[in-house]
Amino acid sequence: MELSDANLQTLTEYLKKTLDPDPAIRRPAEKFLESVEGNQNYPLLLLTLLEKSQDNVIKVCASVTFKNYIKRNWRIVEDEPNKICEADRVAIKANIVHLMLSSPEQIQKQLSDAISIIGREDFPQKWPDLLTEMVNRFQSGDFHVINGVLRTAHSLFKRYRHEFKSNELWTEIKLVLDAFALPLTNLFKATIELCSTHANDASALRVLFSSLILISKLFYSLNFQDLPEFFEDNMETWMNHFHTLLTLDNKLLQTDDEEEAGLLELLKSQICDNAALYAQKYDEEFQRYLPRFVTAIWNLLVTTGQEVKYDLLVSNAIQFLASVCERPHYKNLFEDQNTLTSICEKVIVPNMEFRAADEEAFEDNSEEYIRRDLEGSDIDTRRRAACDLVRGLCKFFEGPVTGIFSGYVNSMLQEYAKNPSVNWKHKDAAIYLVTSLASKAQTQKHGITQANELVNLTEFFVNHILPDLKSANVNEFPVLKADGIKYIMIFRNQVPKEHLLVSVPLLINHLQAESIVVHTYAAHALERLFTMRGPNNATLFTAAEIAPFVEILLTNLFKALTLPGSSENEYIMKAIMRSFSLLQEAIIPYIPTLITQLTQKLLAVSKNPSKPHFNHYMFEAICLSIRITCKANPAAVVNFEEALFLVFTEILQNDVQEFIPYVFQVMSLLLETHKNDIPSSYMALFPHLLQPVLWERTGNIPALVRLLQAFLERGSSTIASAAADRIPGLLGVFQKLIASKANDHQGFYLLNSIIEHMPPESVDQYRKQIFLLLFQRLQNSKTTKFIKSFLVFINLYCIKYGALALQEIFDGIQPKMFGMVLEKIIIPEIQKVSGNVEKKICAVGITKLLTECPPMMDTEYTKLWTPLLQSLIGLFELPEDDTIPDEEHFIDIEDTPGYQTAFSQLAFAGKKEHDPVGQLVNNPKIHLAQSLHKLSTACPGRVPSMVSTSLNAEALQYLQGYLQAASVTLL
Amino acid sequence: RRQQRMTISLELRKAKKDEQVLKRRNINDVSPEPASEKPTKGVSLSLDEIIKGMNSSDPVVCFQATQAARKMLSRERNPPLNSFVEAGLIPRLVEFLKSSLHPYLQFEAAWALTNIASGTPEQTQAVVEAGAILPLIDLLSSPHMTVCEQAVWALGNIAGDGPKLRDIVISSNAIPHLLTLVSSTIPITFLRNITWTLSNLCRNKNPYPCKEAVRQMLPVLSYLLRHHDSEILSDTCWALSYLTDGCNERIGQVVNTGVLPRLVDLMTSSELNVLTPSLRTMGNVVTGTDYQTQLAISAGLLSVLPQLLKHPKTSIQKEAAWTLSNIAAGPHQHIQQLIAFNMLPPLVDLLKNGEFKVQKEAVWTVANFATGATVDQLFVLVHSGVLGPLLPLLSAPDVRTVLIILDVLSYILQTAEKLGEKESLCLLIEELGGIDRIEALQLHENRQISQAALNIIEKHFGEVSDFQEERCPSLLVACLCS
Repeated sequence: MELSDANLQTLTEYLKKTLDPDPAIRRPAEKFLESVEGNQNYPLLLLTLLEKSQDNVIKVCASVTFKNYIKRNWRIVEDEPNKICEADRVAIKANIVHLMLSSPEQIQKQLSDAISIIGREDFPQKWPDLLTEMVNRFQSGDFHVINGVLRTAHSLFKRYRHEFKSNELWTEIKLVLDAFALPLTNLFKATIELCSTHANDASALRVLFSSLILISKLFYSLNFQDLPEFFEDNMETWMNHFHTLLTLDNKLLQTDDEEEAGLLELLKSQICDNAALYAQKYDEEFQRYLPRFVTAIWNLLVTTGQEVKYDLLVSNAIQFLASVCERPHYKNLFEDQNTLTSICEKVIVPNMEFRAADEEAFEDNSEEYIRRDLEGSDIDTRRRAACDLVRGLCKFFEGPVTGIFSGYVNSMLQEYAKNPSVNWKHKDAAIYLVTSLASKAQTQKHGITQANELVNLTEFFVNHILPDLKSANVNEFPVLKADGIKYIMIFRNQVPKEHLLVSVPLLINHLQAESIVVHTYAAHALERLFTMRGPNNATLFTAAEIAPFVEILLTNLFKALTLPGSSENEYIMKAIMRSFSLLQEAIIPYIPTLITQLTQKLLAVSKNPSKPHFNHYMFEAICLSIRITCKANPAAVVNFEEALFLVFTEILQNDVQEFIPYVFQVMSLLLETHKNDIPSSYMALFPHLLQPVLWERTGNIPALVRLLQAFLERGSSTIASAAADRIPGLLGVFQKLIASKANDHQGFYLLNSIIEHMPPESVDQYRKQIFLLLFQRLQNSKTTKFIKSFLVFINLYCIKYGALALQEIFDGIQPKMFGMVLEKIIIPEIQKVSGNVEKKICAVGITKLLTECPPMMDTEYTKLWTPLLQSLIGLFELPEDDTIPDEEHFIDIEDTPGYQTAFSQLAFAGKKEHDPVGQLVNNPKIHLAQSLHKLSTACPGRVPSMVSTSLNAEALQYLQGYLQAASVTLL
Repeated sequence: RRQQRMTISLELRKAKKDEQVLKRRNINDVSPEPASEKPTKGVSLSLDEIIKGMNSSDPVVCFQATQAARKMLSRERNPPLNSFVEAGLIPRLVEFLKSSLHPYLQFEAAWALTNIASGTPEQTQAVVEAGAILPLIDLLSSPHMTVCEQAVWALGNIAGDGPKLRDIVISSNAIPHLLTLVSSTIPITFLRNITWTLSNLCRNKNPYPCKEAVRQMLPVLSYLLRHHDSEILSDTCWALSYLTDGCNERIGQVVNTGVLPRLVDLMTSSELNVLTPSLRTMGNVVTGTDYQTQLAISAGLLSVLPQLLKHPKTSIQKEAAWTLSNIAAGPHQHIQQLIAFNMLPPLVDLLKNGEFKVQKEAVWTVANFATGATVDQLFVLVHSGVLGPLLPLLSAPDVRTVLIILDVLSYILQTAEKLGEKESLCLLIEELGGIDRIEALQLHENRQISQAALNIIEKHFGEVSDFQEERCPSLLVACLCS
């Protein structure tokens, strides 16, 4: 491709087409550009266009295309062809900085990004003059150019903040420091000087302050890894200027915007970060500057307003103070009573106030408000920062701080009492202050776990929280109501149970509040209270204690779901689930209405499932209804099927992907509840469950396997007699699952159920094929997880079909195969099997191999008899071997389904642990002793000699213990 | 798993201030004159006069000029080292070293050369290139002690320049001559000079001084370590610290001379210049094999370490914590000793209140401890209250520290899971504000960190935790998925 006008013209045409809204025109143009981008000069043509094209749109389009081209192609990947020819690379690097700096802002941004991408690969080795070129521009005096350079430098250097120390990285930083630190310092000084020269020129100031922000950011990056010699030597200069800038104010730079931070705020924020970095990392060197910064930042806080635009600055500044005040050697900066008082008064209290913006969020954006307030995603808020400062100060000054705040709390409460409707915000601040002062440690599960002993929480609860909640009007002062409910929630472990019990009906009452925050908090508080554990790990509240409120509780909860904005409120649904779980049989009388309401809800949300948590809890609630009811009256299962199947059918037919795994789990639960043979309604579904398309989705697999297991458990004879033609389909599913490293265990669940429940003759013809598939997988990829499952399976097979059958099927595949499996897999790996039932299956299976398999006694396999016994005793007595070979650690990441498709397991649809050898064998050690005894009577003399010659002493001792316990001897 | 660190050869920081000096100029005004007194006149000549005088054939004129030169080179401020190099006077000074008939001249020349060699690498190089080393070594056998001493000093400056010149001094067979000078009868200042020169002969890596040289010096160093003078002790300890700053074989050479108990003794010295290098040496020793570390422990290292962890100077705290981290990287028997000697409380205190560079070492210690500990030891670690100060450091501006802490947490959580103790540990971490910090790290720009944080949250702080009591695992789920 030549650098010709004709080519420029062609390129312009195609670029134009890539902007066309019509895909029929756009796509081919994009394809064309992609097809020619490998040619030499292509990037240079783009650069020419973005510089010289007459058409502004083409300029911008060329710059974006160029940036994307660089992003895709610049990196040279080992073993792959170099996608940009060397001459082009050189030409690009020679021109791009100049081009970037002389372009208008829109294009400058694209080119700056491109430079960072190139820099990431080439800088510094393959782009040695970049630094000099940049530094030279500092002298240009043109601050548009300078800011372009600074921005590029920032994008090149900011990785120093998050990369690990390495020789390579430090060599680069050293190089940058040598070339850049001094010019940057000079630029910093000059810029500050210019700021005072242009103190009255708003537009000049804006440009200069943009430079100062970038310079401060560069300072942070260059000082992040370690304190460079240059900056240590020039600390005076930098810190003095930073300090001055922190205290600087200029009317011209103040913005009218209330939301968006202005240049002044951004700069000061960055300076706070810089000071915090030095204070934390380079304390020794920074010590003498620190007190000045503490004062400056504190003054800054006192004089900064409540507007949202200051939030980042204020929270950064408060966090700085919080981190300094808990260091022992700076304690003295804070310990003066006057200082403490003014920090409390002027920094903490004002930043705890409920602001107009909070009020707005409370009313109009409740979901976000709740998320921030309840789930602690408030890391950057002022209130959070103020709380952290309280906690930091309490480390050394708990007594004085509590004293100061108690005074404030009292006066704020008095203000409120004078005129509640006007002064309700004072009470809000008082409650918040008490909360932040009292809480030393907190968890979601238990609320506050360590409280400040100087604060009387129960007294405050009785005097100031309960009265609000008792007021007849649940819609009055919603913020205070929410505060009160939250207080119960977080101090639930500090407030005595009798008080909590008093608040239960009050909370139930507040489920009716119109405010989303209030009724959500009420639901959440109830849910948390119902989860609390008392002594003996039983729930703190008994069903009997809550029984008086059952009806109103359930009514209000479901009514709350009809309030505007809460139709899919996960907190309410979780409270429903939790109430069911706590109340158990007490809900049975209400089940008909409850299940109707739940089904309607299910039908409604299945149109467009959007709240995963809500949906999950809803299905849990359905499961609980089924379990609780059918435990008392198994026959009631039919009623549930009647109520649910219609909706389920609809969900399956409409292929509502999110719900299908849930539906299968609920169906499994229902099916397992049936005591007799499988109902025909289920059998009709059976063929559909084997459809490959269902198994394509990873999220379905566990639930489907679970359901098929339920089918096999309840309906194996029906399947064998009425659906034998489906058995190959069933095995097909097994084959598919077994091939995947992530799902092979699911395949084994299915296979084990088949072996355990299907009449042997119905699977006879497939048995050899099954083993062949397993061997194939063993050969292709043998993982620990697979081996564990495989061991459980062959032992189950041995129990079900007999030891001889197992030996025969192995040796039928290939002579001596049985011996190889014993030697290479069972004996060395059995120690890895985990889980009580699984170990028991293996123990019983191996016992059978030892005692009921004639070839073990009189063929070449006999030499494996004692090692097998030894490994069985190991399985009984040694700790489980849970080592995983290194190369397998990555399997999880590779094969684990992503979040989207993750299987959502329902806790209340849980299956009882099933022990297929439960009736057969109670104690596997005794069983081994008895079986050995039986064997020894059949061939007297042989067993004791085999045991005593090659079993190790320790194992022998254990074995003798088993024999004694079983009261048998070996003959 | 074990993290015995190699320091990166590159530094962004200023060179350390408290380390031993490489080269020293003799600026002593009241210079000790050779034994037989010869009056020195207050001659003050210009550089030209000096050049002229030194090139004279009259030994007296030469002496006067050389003395004037030496005085010029010894002046406090701006000694004109380079002028002498450029004037080509070094070869002449070297020549004077050989004039055994004129010990005063030898002395003045050696002194002048000492001061030139104390300059830049180029200036030292110029002295060597003029062939000064061999005559200087010859002077070590001079009957005049002051001449001898000045030669020791000059050789010290040359050896201090770096591994290359050091090895030339060594291969010129200086060591045996130096060692024979050591005796209890020589003046203390002389012995100090010899010790310092020996330390320079032990100094610098890439390459290290050859093993034979070290073998020759070690008995004398071990003798000097018994001295009472703090300067001698300091330089001897520095020498040993250089010798132990290397592979296990090098450490073994030193350890085998049996100096460890004495070094531990010196770690309690009130003199910072003795404490610092003795601690450094012991710190180096425990980077060695488990056996070498055991010898250090047997020498009593652990009984003196706690007070150093609480030392008022941050640099001592840091070295002590570094030492501790390397003992913690050992087998669990060593970890048991750390517990027995009550190292955990001061460690927790450093994590809480130390300066950041000390906290960093303390974090390494915790990491090494955790990964090498038995279950019981891990239990002791967690119960020592280590998580309280460890979790806030997740917000520290240092990516490596953050990653190490995440690894420690993940490791402890895994172990707790196996023991069925996970729930209480998770609660503890949450109480201490850990979850918020870990969650925030999921957005960290360093991929290893964000991934590690994500893994911890997903594996240990998932939503379902409060269902656990109701959960009945299906047949094989519990084992096969784990």
